[in-house]
Amino acid sequence: MSVAELKERHAAATATVNDLRERLKQKRQLLLDTDVASYALSHGRTPISFSSTDLVCCRTLRGHTGKVYSLDWTPERNRIVSASQDGRLIVWNALTSQKTHAIKLHCAWVMTCAFAPSGQSVACGGLDSACSIFNLNSQVDRDGNIPISRILTGHKGYVSSCQYVPDQETRLITSSGDQTCVLWDITTGQRISVFGGDFPSGHTADVLSLSINSANSNMFVSGSCDATARLWDIRIASRAVRTYHGHEGDVNTVKFFPDGQRFGTGSDDTTCRLFDMRTGHQLQVYSRPHENNDNDVPTVTSIAFSISGRLLFAGYSNGDCYVWDTLVAEVAFNLGTLQNSHEGRISCLGLSSDGSALCTGSWDKNLRIWAFGGHRMVI
Amino acid sequence: MSMTSSSGSTAGRVEAGEAARSDKQQQTTPPPPPPLPLPQARTGGFLGRHRLSAAITRLDQEILSLQEEINELETMDPSSAACQEVLLSMEGKPEPLLPVGPEDVSWDRWFQRVRSSRGHKWWTHKGSDFS
Repeated sequence: MSVAELKERHAAATATVNDLRERLKQKRQLLLDTDVASYALSHGRTPISFSSTDLVCCRTLRGHTGKVYSLDWTPERNRIVSASQDGRLIVWNALTSQKTHAIKLHCAWVMTCAFAPSGQSVACGGLDSACSIFNLNSQVDRDGNIPISRILTGHKGYVSSCQYVPDQETRLITSSGDQTCVLWDITTGQRISVFGGDFPSGHTADVLSLSINSANSNMFVSGSCDATARLWDIRIASRAVRTYHGHEGDVNTVKFFPDGQRFGTGSDDTTCRLFDMRTGHQLQVYSRPHENNDNDVPTVTSIAFSISGRLLFAGYSNGDCYVWDTLVAEVAFNLGTLQNSHEGRISCLGLSSDGSALCTGSWDKNLRIWAFGGHRMVI
Repeated sequence: MSMTSSSGSTAGRVEAGEAARSDKQQQTTPPPPPPLPLPQARTGGFLGRHRLSAAITRLDQEILSLQEEINELETMDPSSAACQEVLLSMEGKPEPLLPVGPEDVSWDRWFQRVRSSRGHKWWTHKGSDFS
């Protein structure tokens, strides 16, 4: 076939794709008969309200000398690993505020870190396009540093996010600027599966975040600069299970909802959204209340759900940390307004495994722990 | 080989990426002068056909995938079904960070005296004022 004929076919196929996308969008719109807030309010749910002394900063973890980019809790409640622009990982006992480990990284440009299920190892990755694993029980080397126990190489772009498969010490998933996610076998250092890339239905731009479904660890969701989130089954790398449209900018952060059937997203378009995993429906948009200055509306950098799902914590680029009432889509509180809150962008946040504490990490170099310090009406 | 995000506003990532980019630029040599023009069939034609074919294959796959999804929507539940599930999923679930509901004493560990190697430390007592 000549180039001219191919060009014609290409143009025709493009037109068909655009037409189908529009039809799909319209059909989906017809199925959106309500959103979570309208449904909840019509079923008698009332908004949560917090007094200004309910959510309290009960620890400030100081020690990093650069912006904090990422944090992760251990499954056994009280330890946190954080990654910073200062080129270090620090492991903290969040209860005592003590640093138990400080790991100097070979590549200072770290973007993400994660705790292994056992709490004995940590993983990190960044601009070196690799994921490094450190065993916290290793003997330190001559310079007092913990040696790398494994390095996972193969990505052709930066590693934006990494997460261990729940209850699996030897399996980890990474997301990358090379538009793919990868499932790794840490023991061998080999890629088990590549999600996206050459295969159709992969992301078409950098992948920025991922979240593994704790209710079904075969499934994970990824968020990308292509403004979509995609659902993957780790047993079927050849194509995404579903693509979720709605956001109008980079999807910086994704997190599964506690019931394992929905997930939340946060984006440069300044909104958070709740998607239904199975149907693809966009169930709710969480938009910041109207700002005075329409320019420079803060973007969403990170999200986490409280253990019941009732609260959605969202960190923003201006230091705000909204506590959204997930059900009625209203802001119940803004931790950023408290006196002792962060003085810069919130880059990362996460809940302890029992949900009793929230940790936030910031460009102000600190991490803060927040817990409920008010009076509880026990039912 | 892209190290840069396609959006400019993911600042942490861009910041690190920019440092890497400027390193790269310093190492780039100036481009060579353009080659003498040759008949298209001997140079651009082959590559053009190959790339176009690959792009058409991808588009065809996307067409199939979109058609599948449109068909799926014919028998799909509306969003209200999922909204109901969201509501029900929260019923009776304990929630440490809310002012109501059942309580677990271990949630209060953040406000209790903890012995550390530096001696006793007492964190802000639950319920007191914070300035």
